[in-house]
Amino acid sequence: MGSSTYKVPGGKLLKIRLKTVGYKIEKVTIMGDFFLHPEDALSDLEERLKGVYLESSSIKSVIADFLSKSGTQIIGADPADIATAIMMAV
Amino acid sequence: MDEVRFLDLEIRSAHMNMALDEAIMRSIQAGHVPPTLRLYRWQPSAVSIGTFQGMTEEVDLEYCKRNGIDHIRRLTGGGAVYHDYGGEVTYSIILPNDHRLVSSDIIESYKILCAGVVKALDILGIDAKFKPINDVVTGGKKISGNAQTRRRSCVLQHGTTLLDLDVEVMFSVLKVPQEKISDKMIEDVRQRVTSVREVLGREVGVDELVVALGDGFGEALGIELVEGELSAAEIELAESLVEEKYGRDEWNLSR
Repeated sequence: MGSSTYKVPGGKLLKIRLKTVGYKIEKVTIMGDFFLHPEDALSDLEERLKGVYLESSSIKSVIADFLSKSGTQIIGADPADIATAIMMAV
Repeated sequence: MDEVRFLDLEIRSAHMNMALDEAIMRSIQAGHVPPTLRLYRWQPSAVSIGTFQGMTEEVDLEYCKRNGIDHIRRLTGGGAVYHDYGGEVTYSIILPNDHRLVSSDIIESYKILCAGVVKALDILGIDAKFKPINDVVTGGKKISGNAQTRRRSCVLQHGTTLLDLDVEVMFSVLKVPQEKISDKMIEDVRQRVTSVREVLGREVGVDELVVALGDGFGEALGIELVEGELSAAEIELAESLVEEKYGRDEWNLSR
């Protein structure tokens, strides 16, 4: 189980708890003082990230795709920031 | 002028405070009660964390337990806040989505509603301004933190305005590794956060801040505050939300 803390420049603080299997995400918990609307989307996003390769651009595009398709808005961090924080937890 | 129900200062537990905010939102959605501005304090003192924060990551629960300080997860995002019984006043404003004060742009929406806090501080003689994303600052220091959720066809924004600041207790409640609590860090917080009493250099009473907040929201938002009360149904709903959600580890420790 890995973890990380990443302060987004000009944004909020991200804290990650990460379990990996092989070179994939087994389970990720995204925490922090950011805003997400609607809030309930976060657990769906964490679910969507299961099985994604531990590679910054893959994680980023999965998150960006999830946000746009679900109409979810994140404030204080962007998909690249979350990907960075997750990779820091590896 | 639009009328908004005004629930004047109440003193309640952390569980009931957060449950009431949600109960009012649900009641507005159901069309049972009008848009509402509510002022409250927390007794006992409590720490609230943002809905996405990890409780044990942010809060020293042992310290809280020893000192009779409550802990609760909010419905809103944002950061951890220490609600000292004597050191702050919290507001919540809950509006249906079709209200003229609701903007679909979230940052703009913070700005519109935070104008109530800015005006309240102005009434007290403090020159403050909104600082995106969700703060109100004076002289570059944070004096009010705010958080918003959009659910149940409503916007709910609540926020704290600091009357006083006890940095030592704040650091004991919030989990900062012991080795990091150096004099320098405490000094840093003093340079980033301030309070009404610190800025004005006098013993401003809770009542004075409460009156300013009511007047400030009324003036800045162009709303007529009509003194009201919680309905029996709202109180009943809040009590059941305490039972099922805000009073339970399943919610408070869910992350």
